[in-house]
Amino acid sequence: MNPDNKITQSQKMMVFVLSMSLYGLATLFTELIPSFQVGIVEFSVEYFLFIPLTLAMLFDPLSAAIGAAAGELVFSEIMLGQFGGLGELEKFITVTIGVYIAGRLVKDPRRRGVVAAASIIGVAVQQLMGCVVDILKVQFAVEDFEAVAGLPQSVFFTEGFACLNDILFSGILFCMLPTMYLVPKLYGKIEPLLGMKPRDEKTVFSGENSLSPKIIIMSIIGFAAAIVAELLASGGYELIDWEAAWAGSTTNIIIAIIIAAVVALVAIGVIRNRAAQAER
Amino acid sequence: MHKLTENILDKLTIDYLRNQVLKNAYGNDDTVIAKLDPRVLLIWYLFFGLVPWFLNDVALLLGLFLFVVMTTRAARIAPLVLFLFCVGVFSQTGYLFIVALFFGGNAETIAPLLVMTLKVAVVSLASITVFSGLDPDRLANGMLWFGCPGQLSFSISFAYRILPVLMEEFQNILLSFRLRGNPPQKKTFIGKIRYLGYQIKMIIQSFYPLMLNTAKRSRTTVEALELRGYRYSLQNPEVKRMKLAMLRVTRQDMIFVVISIIWVAVCVAISAALQDML
Repeated sequence: MNPDNKITQSQKMMVFVLSMSLYGLATLFTELIPSFQVGIVEFSVEYFLFIPLTLAMLFDPLSAAIGAAAGELVFSEIMLGQFGGLGELEKFITVTIGVYIAGRLVKDPRRRGVVAAASIIGVAVQQLMGCVVDILKVQFAVEDFEAVAGLPQSVFFTEGFACLNDILFSGILFCMLPTMYLVPKLYGKIEPLLGMKPRDEKTVFSGENSLSPKIIIMSIIGFAAAIVAELLASGGYELIDWEAAWAGSTTNIIIAIIIAAVVALVAIGVIRNRAAQAER
Repeated sequence: MHKLTENILDKLTIDYLRNQVLKNAYGNDDTVIAKLDPRVLLIWYLFFGLVPWFLNDVALLLGLFLFVVMTTRAARIAPLVLFLFCVGVFSQTGYLFIVALFFGGNAETIAPLLVMTLKVAVVSLASITVFSGLDPDRLANGMLWFGCPGQLSFSISFAYRILPVLMEEFQNILLSFRLRGNPPQKKTFIGKIRYLGYQIKMIIQSFYPLMLNTAKRSRTTVEALELRGYRYSLQNPEVKRMKLAMLRVTRQDMIFVVISIIWVAVCVAISAALQDML
């Protein structure tokens, strides 16, 4: 019936829904449960990333990754009203890339060693990207970053430490160990529930190799987009500096922004009307 | 202090969380904000979510902050969400300030950080107003109108419906684990750590049955969607128009927009006057 062990469109949708609802639920809890600190070390249950990691290793990695990112966005950001606008794009992209890479690295989910290595690599990739973005964010958002006494060191220190802490502590305890426990246990049991064969070396995905150059390039482009989005959301000083000649005071800028908003509104209205007429 | 922690722990049961989230999602249909058109609110959010990042004037930012505080009040947001907002704002900037002091910063460090805190506060309160104050279905429809992918608006509607079910199921699984389990003693310090480890292990283990159950459920969901031609309807403009026909811009929306514009204009005028005086 399905000799190539291919994954159909509706099965991808199932994986998307599964990953979204489970990871969404988990992130909702982590958002609500306060983390506790011992000295400067933060013991946070930050991280239920083992859920999408497990799903990405058992099913189609891309659907699981996008589902996880969407779940986090919808459940913990939009439902709790913590939606940060454009800045959320950063988290969305880094989670997607991290989970996807981990999922693609595993060829045979029955081998625990590979599963462990892939999960820790996925976490590390995601955390490092997040760390770089965070540092850049503060650098652009605070005026005269270098001039404020003690700020640069403290930012590098806290961010670097948080990143290391997340990879080593949360990464091993809450991602690697649960994934190692869950993947072999679920293997062969969960796939029939979605009406597909267990994944093995022969399973066909949209790409071919486990880490083809295409994926790496796409990841880098995605990461660049994440940085740009985050900086646009939080910085914006650079944009103004270019036009500083006419934008002498804040007031001018605001007036310009309001005009732009009105123009955009009118434009949207016109476009919608045209589209509606064209459809009729 | 002891009583305080006990009090907080008392409140942090799964039931409480579920009630708060549900209340936040469905409990306030009758507020002023919830009755507004989602498209108008999204555009409003675009302004209040982006513009504060470009401002450095404390007076102006304070004015905007007061305004979003009022809209948040009007949207009657659940207390839990507001508490999370306070924690989030403090942990973003307050923590940084303390560490900056540690590295030889002084009171002057506080000025740029105050501006940053105000920016963060305005933006997040605006997003709380829009995304928590609105009914999820209306929010999803508004986003669909602006051309967001159909999957996203599906995810939002689906998430609000599946969440109570999932939470209840997770709680049942946890309870059954607890019934059958034998937790370690938690009298000594080492015992407490072991107890915590036991709890975490239990939570992780309970995801095993939860994953299997959710897999079954998501297959049912997707098959039901396919039967009703979901993927076809995503691309069909006719279906989309029917779905969005309920969106109307009314006089209330206009009043809301006008009030916002006037408020911002007054804030700008005040901040300009203050600058002249200095």
